Amino acid sequence: MNMLDLAIKDLKEHRVRTILTVLGIIIAITAIISLGSISAGVNELITSSGSKVGSSTIFVTKRFDMSMMSGPPGSFNIGTISADEIESLRSIAGVSRVAPIISKIPGSMFGEVDAIDMNDLDLFGAADLALKEGYWPDNDEQGVVMGSVAAGIFGASSGDFITLNNKQVEVFGIAEEGQGSFDLLIVMPYAYGEDIYDMQGEANQIVIEPADISFVDEIKNTIEEEHDDLMAMTIADALKTAQQSTATLNIFTLGIGFVASLVAGIGIIITMYTSVLERRREIGILKAVGAFRRTIFKQIIEEGLILSVTGSLISLAISFFFVDLLNNVLLGGTKIAVITPLLAGGAVAYGVILTLLFSVYPAWVAIKTDPIDAIRKG
Amino acid sequence: MKRIILELRDVWKIYCMKDVETNALRGINLKIAAGEYAAIVGPSGSGKSTLMHILGCLDTPTKGKVLVDGRDVSEMNDDQLALIRRKKIGFVFQAYNLITSLNAIENVALPMRFSGYGKGEAFKKARELLIKVGLEKRMSHKPNEMSGGEQQRVAIARALINEPEIILADEPTGNLDTKTGKEIFELVESLHTKTKKTLIIVTHDLNLAQRAHQEIRIKDGEIVGEYARSGHKGSEGA
Repeated sequence: MNMLDLAIKDLKEHRVRTILTVLGIIIAITAIISLGSISAGVNELITSSGSKVGSSTIFVTKRFDMSMMSGPPGSFNIGTISADEIESLRSIAGVSRVAPIISKIPGSMFGEVDAIDMNDLDLFGAADLALKEGYWPDNDEQGVVMGSVAAGIFGASSGDFITLNNKQVEVFGIAEEGQGSFDLLIVMPYAYGEDIYDMQGEANQIVIEPADISFVDEIKNTIEEEHDDLMAMTIADALKTAQQSTATLNIFTLGIGFVASLVAGIGIIITMYTSVLERRREIGILKAVGAFRRTIFKQIIEEGLILSVTGSLISLAISFFFVDLLNNVLLGGTKIAVITPLLAGGAVAYGVILTLLFSVYPAWVAIKTDPIDAIRKG
Repeated sequence: MKRIILELRDVWKIYCMKDVETNALRGINLKIAAGEYAAIVGPSGSGKSTLMHILGCLDTPTKGKVLVDGRDVSEMNDDQLALIRRKKIGFVFQAYNLITSLNAIENVALPMRFSGYGKGEAFKKARELLIKVGLEKRMSHKPNEMSGGEQQRVAIARALINEPEIILADEPTGNLDTKTGKEIFELVESLHTKTKKTLIIVTHDLNLAQRAHQEIRIKDGEIVGEYARSGHKGSEGA
């Protein structure tokens, strides 16, 4: 028998309690979807930028040491690799190309400035980066190409000037949107970078192309043996490290979601249990006039189901809103958070299953109600 | 020989509270024929409520047998008893026992919906019954918007919706003023006189009990007197 209308009536009868319970579910499921979407987004961002660079390409940076943390709070100096070191890297056997890159953080902003030889853009994964306006500078020109998000943050179009390291820099071109981590970059010719940042012949990172993929490990080993202060990594190594950190992020996210959902679950038990106790008499009457135990059980479970489906769907809507706000308004188009169908479906299913589980005990209490207790006079 | 619709054979009900045994019913033997009008009468604490719970299949005896239309219900489980109550017995309680969140039609329709009928069919029949008990203008009122007499009329309509053979009325006028009580009592009685249903009334009012064909007096959990009358006095409800 379908008594869904009775379940709805009962929830309406106790509107405040119903709304508070749904609110608990919304907080839990929204936490899971929102945090999960950031994990998923970061993961996709890492994987998509990695795929643009050859798997044999080796990235060399200064080994991290505490001196890099010096300077004003919040600043982070990427270590400088000297001109001599760069020269010695060129002489390692099996190395076909060496591209020094000057990498700087533009002020306090989220993103990166990279100065690289325009002929080496392919090693950087930016060779086929399409521009939506303007053009790429030649190696001897003085100008930059900006990722769409970086341009948005600076409010710059091609032809405008922006300030980098207290110097006026002309914007030659703006890249198309949706290019992953490139959206946050400002790219300029290496020679221009040397001038702007006063780093003649130096670099913050170096990209090395081996003559053959079979040389990769040997080159990496040689670099690290000859230069204690340098660290060599392929994109595969980097991806592995990044994925390990996203895995940690995932566990962290799931942990918070789990705790939030337990709290919401206890809220559901309390609501349903109180509701059952309050309705002892009513449930007794239903039994007295011939309701089966399963009819009573079903009604309580249906009430739980209504709460959870409503709560989960509202959470989904709120999460889409938050993710849109984060990606498009706060970050100007970088998809740092992504709600995948699996995440959306999984979170809603989790919310519903959880509520059903937490409704079982109150429903069980309900069917144990003795009709005689309920109908006793006065 | 009339068909026996309710029979109790040496029925005992013993409650155990902190090692103290209370015998609410002590070896009750009782037969009620189909189409009969019976009254169970006794002072409070006599065991008449316990007896009515057992007759109404709301409770099972500690010892003895209960037969409804020849079927032994004393060993039945909750759901089997619920099915018997739903099909065979219509209850009218002293405190009306309506569901407060539901309006008159919804309350009356409930037992029929438990039987698997859709909302439409159940509401149609509920409406007809509410007209019969004189509540055509109160169909969508909730219990707290109705007088005691009106609520009891809703309860009577609810008792009738599954067309049970037995109507069990437990002090049906106990919460009502004299005038309304008389009207309700006549309405309940008319279920017997007009539709020949088996009517069992539980009351402490000897005057009311004397209107029944079969009067069963109970005291301290035992039947202390059983009187049979041919025809009943003053059935103005006709």
